[in-house]
Amino acid sequence: MSHAGERAPAPTLTLLDATMVGIGAMIGAGIFVLTGLAVETAGPAAILVFALNGGVTTFTALSYAELASSIPRNGGGYAYVREVFSAPVAFVMGWTRWFTYMIAGALYALGFASNFIEFGHIFGVALPGGVLFWAASVVLVFVTLNAVSTAASGSAETVITLVKIVILLVFVAFGLQFVDLGRFSPFFERGNPLTMLPAMGLTFIAFQGYDLIATVTEEVEDPERNIPRAILLSVATTVVVYLLVVFVALGTLGPDGLAGAGETAIAQAAEGFMPVFPLVGTGAALIAFGAVFSTISALNAVIIGSSRVAFAMGREAQLPASLGRLHHRFGTPFVAIVASAAVMLVAVAVVPIRVVGNLASLFSLLGFSIVNLSVIRLRRQQPDLRRPFEVPFYPVTPILGIVLNLLLGAFIDLTTWALAVGWLVVGGAIYVLLSRRRGGPAGPTGALKPEISEPEVTVPTED
Amino acid sequence: MPESLRVIVAGGGTVGLRTAELLDERGHNVVLIESDPDQSERVAAEYVASIIEGDAARPAVLRQAQPDRCDAIAALTDDEATNFAVCMAAQRMADIRTVMRIAGDPDELYPEYVDGVVSEATLTARVAVNEVVGGGVRSIEEVGGKVELLEVEIAEDAPAAGKTLAEVRLPRGSLIVVDAAGERIGGPETELTPGKRFLVAVEGAVADEVMNLLRG
Repeated sequence: MSHAGERAPAPTLTLLDATMVGIGAMIGAGIFVLTGLAVETAGPAAILVFALNGGVTTFTALSYAELASSIPRNGGGYAYVREVFSAPVAFVMGWTRWFTYMIAGALYALGFASNFIEFGHIFGVALPGGVLFWAASVVLVFVTLNAVSTAASGSAETVITLVKIVILLVFVAFGLQFVDLGRFSPFFERGNPLTMLPAMGLTFIAFQGYDLIATVTEEVEDPERNIPRAILLSVATTVVVYLLVVFVALGTLGPDGLAGAGETAIAQAAEGFMPVFPLVGTGAALIAFGAVFSTISALNAVIIGSSRVAFAMGREAQLPASLGRLHHRFGTPFVAIVASAAVMLVAVAVVPIRVVGNLASLFSLLGFSIVNLSVIRLRRQQPDLRRPFEVPFYPVTPILGIVLNLLLGAFIDLTTWALAVGWLVVGGAIYVLLSRRRGGPAGPTGALKPEISEPEVTVPTED
Repeated sequence: MPESLRVIVAGGGTVGLRTAELLDERGHNVVLIESDPDQSERVAAEYVASIIEGDAARPAVLRQAQPDRCDAIAALTDDEATNFAVCMAAQRMADIRTVMRIAGDPDELYPEYVDGVVSEATLTARVAVNEVVGGGVRSIEEVGGKVELLEVEIAEDAPAAGKTLAEVRLPRGSLIVVDAAGERIGGPETELTPGKRFLVAVEGAVADEVMNLLRG
């Protein structure tokens, strides 16, 4: 994966690489960090939670595929919305996408820290410092790496993601024999299918990694065909892997055990049935290793994603222009990365993990609603736009996407909404200040008139 | 101030496509209008612009490219009358910089109506790009297929402004050749003084990054 402003000439990502970019960001968050929390809320129905979330996100993934195939722009959801809506709407989209990535980063950092300490326990090492210390450290390390050098290549990301998938499949392969179906009843533990809705909202963030594919579109080979494929493939693969893992975890450790284990649920489930491997030690160690590894790579991915959104907004004059600049020495969007890191650290330090997950999910849901709306609006505004990939069953698909996303958002608790509104108000204030200083509406129109040189007839003589 | 422009290119033939490519490489956003489905598929494969399939001279089609949100329009079809019509229609729709391609010798009255004219006799895509983008950066020469020679004026608040070449790490695939006065070959001690112009050789893939460093 690479930055906006790649140092070396842009690498060409294959369909596999592009798919792995999406899977890499999705597998690692939900599965390791959120499974326990989802089970705590919904009981054994957590498996249905993941399945339904996969269904909901597919509608949005289809919309992403259509937009990515017809609008050749890096920058993900923000870039598409910027294309379709007026500057203020695009600002809200960018502002919330940026925040989602930063919050997701905080979530992965916290998930990393718990699993890293668990990893130490398995080997009998009591690591000094608490969860907060390790979470903050890992953020600092990766932000520094990203600030001073460009990230690893697409193929490195592919290898890392494949390793994650293999570790999880090993877990599933061993666990399947020990699954006790009795642990799934009563299926709706709280006696009511509605308990699933809050759990869906909570874990929705685990299904948003394909947005990241949309931020690197210009580096994918044969993009108009491969990007839609990569988006849909990554969602499909992720949903299958999630369902297998959650099925095994629930069937072996049981809902109560999983709920009690919190962020390290999968590792604890593995402890129950995995054999001892040569070199790596117990199965739990393998899973803990997988969790540490996954959360780190997901963290790296969202640091890139967050800085890229901020960078794009800076370039479009929607945020201070300094965010849209490359560092003169490192060639990275330095200010954008540092700003993102600051918010991540604050989130790590002061917000509880459940609220962090909820916030990120809420903003994803709102953002995805706008993306679905963009598909509808773009079809009306530009009927003759070339669309190499078209959403099937239009307009039913994007409308369902909007309705379902908003429905899930409605079941997220009030505290989270209050925090979300707070962040939007901060954004609104910045937006108003910026456009005042410019003396006009934000955005390329108006603010960015080209230097009009003298009207001239060019009859070039130099060639 | 970042200089990311939104540009409409009417006509997706060789000139239109190459213009769109060069603009895209420098980080500008391009909407291309092309009526021939086969040609538009060819352009789509390059993935440098959103493509509207239709006749740019029809207001209903031109409107879809949203001239009111764009900074410039380059009418580059091989039909002079169409190009003129497209520019006129765009001006009626929005306050927009217009550049048109003409077939023969330039009509001396064109400058009254459009902001820039590129003549077919000597036409190259980079001339069109220079007309679209205006001051600050001028394309001097395309060397072979991938490398372009640009004349770039260092912007006041660019990240690299006021720094020496030793302090600034330009990406691989770019080279400051000489200052525009042709006096000194670029070396580690060369200072990128704001307002001064330099000749920069740059590969397409890193043009965007170089522009960001030198122009902000």
